[in-house]
Amino acid sequence: MEAELYLDYNTPYHRLDARTKIIVFLCIFVGVLMFQDPRWLIPTFLLVLAQLLVSRSAKNLQRIRYVLLVMSISSIVLWNFFASGVTPLFWVFEVESMYYALGRTILIFSIVTMGVILISTTRNEELIMGMIKMGLPYRVGFAISTSLRLVPTVATSLATISQAQRSRGLDLESGNVLERVKKFLPLLVPVFLSTIRNTNIFGMALESRGFGAREDRTYYLQMQMTKADWAVLAFFFLYVAISIWLNVMGYGKIVGLVRF
Amino acid sequence: MTEPTLVIQDLTYRYRGTKENAIEAIDLALERGEFLVLMGPTGAGKSTLATCINGLIPHFHKGKLEGNVIVCGKNTREHTVAQMAEDVGLVFQDFEAQLFSTNVELEVAFGPENFAVPREEIGQRIIENLAYVGLSDFRNRPPSTLSGGQKQKLAVASVLALQPKVLVMDEPTTDLDPISKMGIFEITNRLRQRSDLTLLVVEHETEEVLQANRIALLKDGRLVKVGPAHEILRDVDLIESLGLMPLGITRFFKDMSPEASTAAVDLPLLPVEAETAYRNNGWQVCPQTYGALVAKEAEAEQTFRAKDPLICCRDLEFSYPNGVKALDGISLDIYPGDIVAIVGQNGSGKTTLAKHFNGLLLPTSGTVMVNGKTTKEQGIFRLGQSVGYVFQNPDHQIFSETVYDEVSFGPRLRGLPADQIEARVAETLKAVGLEGAEEEDPFSMTKSARQRVAVAAVLAVQPDVLILDEPTTGLDYREQRSMMDMVRRLNENGSTIIFITHHMWVVAEYARKVFVVKDGRLFLEGTTREVFSHEQELLEASLRPPHFIQFTNLLGYTMLRPAELAACTKGGGA
Repeated sequence: MEAELYLDYNTPYHRLDARTKIIVFLCIFVGVLMFQDPRWLIPTFLLVLAQLLVSRSAKNLQRIRYVLLVMSISSIVLWNFFASGVTPLFWVFEVESMYYALGRTILIFSIVTMGVILISTTRNEELIMGMIKMGLPYRVGFAISTSLRLVPTVATSLATISQAQRSRGLDLESGNVLERVKKFLPLLVPVFLSTIRNTNIFGMALESRGFGAREDRTYYLQMQMTKADWAVLAFFFLYVAISIWLNVMGYGKIVGLVRF
Repeated sequence: MTEPTLVIQDLTYRYRGTKENAIEAIDLALERGEFLVLMGPTGAGKSTLATCINGLIPHFHKGKLEGNVIVCGKNTREHTVAQMAEDVGLVFQDFEAQLFSTNVELEVAFGPENFAVPREEIGQRIIENLAYVGLSDFRNRPPSTLSGGQKQKLAVASVLALQPKVLVMDEPTTDLDPISKMGIFEITNRLRQRSDLTLLVVEHETEEVLQANRIALLKDGRLVKVGPAHEILRDVDLIESLGLMPLGITRFFKDMSPEASTAAVDLPLLPVEAETAYRNNGWQVCPQTYGALVAKEAEAEQTFRAKDPLICCRDLEFSYPNGVKALDGISLDIYPGDIVAIVGQNGSGKTTLAKHFNGLLLPTSGTVMVNGKTTKEQGIFRLGQSVGYVFQNPDHQIFSETVYDEVSFGPRLRGLPADQIEARVAETLKAVGLEGAEEEDPFSMTKSARQRVAVAAVLAVQPDVLILDEPTTGLDYREQRSMMDMVRRLNENGSTIIFITHHMWVVAEYARKVFVVKDGRLFLEGTTREVFSHEQELLEASLRPPHFIQFTNLLGYTMLRPAELAACTKGGGA
């Protein structure tokens, strides 16, 4: 069962320091917030897509394609309700609110994609180390990475359990969405129980290996910023600086948009 | 110097929310360098005692603790689990859940990191301990890509990296195939020779505990007997009365000379000893009686072969979506009314093969036919009616609040009239030995009872074939026996049975025919007796017959049970 989120490839993106990847993630996060107009978001969006290609993480994005689809559709519909403009399009939709909704969708899509890239290219321990080096307490970093680790565990047990039920004649593949959800719900009972059980052993194993035995702690994993890291950082700092400057200069806004 | 490393004084513990003590008045002391094995049936309190030693009880599990546990002069009450970790290492049974790093060397580094060991020394400890357990070549691999046996070895290495003085292992081999088990025991054996390490292992496989200095028998939370390993193992009657598996060899010799007292010091324990003792007694195997036994089996095989196969695989190949080839050209026939075992190393493809029989997986090439039709054309829903599949872990299957709901789930899905469902449930529960348990909550039942509920739930749709994946894992000897006796009864009442197992004695006692899978290929096939006579080939497939069968192979015959050999033996005093 392939449920791991980390993709064990050796792309240039994988080789970057975890700190660089976290900062790049934050840069894009800030960058997309600077623009409302989807046309102005295109360069950022292309930048995200380029990273997706270089890091070969599209596979993980494909796994959550249904989530992305639902998110995109609801985002487009909802933002049209919560914003209005001056040029009518049809029904509650206006040209301005439509533009705005498109922009917000690109924003959500970019941030989710960046998150997927980060997790797909960074080992758990590197992520913790990166966060610690950037000033986060060890326990907080460990907690974040542990919750990420839960995803593959839950996915694996869900796969086994649905196989067990299909063997008993439960048809999980037909019916409309509502019917399918209804059939799926009882399966969550064994999923929760086995997750709780696993977490319990995990907790015991952790303590038995001395987790939190002392205040100080050494780290075996060492991280080294390379020239490539500094180059990437320089590029993204420049990107953020330009984005903020454009925003301050008043570019990238949608004229005539009213938000509620 | 003479101060024992581990002292347990009058220890009593009760889990919160329970009425009975899990362990009661345990007194035990382990000298430095000693190797003690803790044995006992399910629910005897073995794991409870093991988790008391590193302080998980009383710090992690809350409850009522009386008495003391003192390790290297430290009382567990006064130190946290993490602080105890430097002195006591604990290896768990579940090899999946106790590993949490993405990389083998980081897994080993985790413990020393917590104790602020300098980085250079951590590097040293990684090299040392990975070499010790034989995983040096896997240093940069993610643990999830290791086999079960390797994962358990990694767990041992990562605990040893803390350089503990006491190592506790809680059923470390339960989920492993015979050779992986031996790998762990080979490590245990080397650890035992280290004078600086005190070993306490919870185990219920009798053949594997021969190396121990002492054995402590536990029942209902109390110590029944503590003594030198060989002395305890020779007391087959006591071991059997506790619901543990006696050594087949010792059982045989005890039965052959009933006048020997329980303290008989000369009862053989190992195959080679047994062969010598057998010949010294002037015993011989009667070739005619043995020949009749073999002839009867050959005849049965002919009768089966005359029928139309129920399941028929031809050149079955299967690759997972990621391109890994799991099955590579398997052809086999399974006949109605048969009881067959599928065996093989962890990851050899036996479960993948079995999942083809009920259509959970469809072949990449080749065909699988059930009742004369391919699984592709029948689909999993229709196949579920004729092929029932019981998964390894009953907790993956059970989700209802009452046994009745759980067992009636299948019949309801298949539209059985309501008035028949009740009778069907009652009938099925009777077949699995859970008569009248309809209203019970499956989640509060014991593991072996949940296993039976899972079997009942599959049986309720009255399939022709019942596939059981590891039906005896996690059960003690007595539970394993009663589970398999039930399976045999189902077979006698007409069900075709296919079971996957790591327990070779279960194969020897219950299967008529055996398929050995190795690296996705059918490696060996034949009646149980034929297969167990090929000891060398089995070894290549990482399997090993029980000691008793090894002993009879040394005699030149393959006997599956002590009673068979007794019936075939003549001469001497017998």
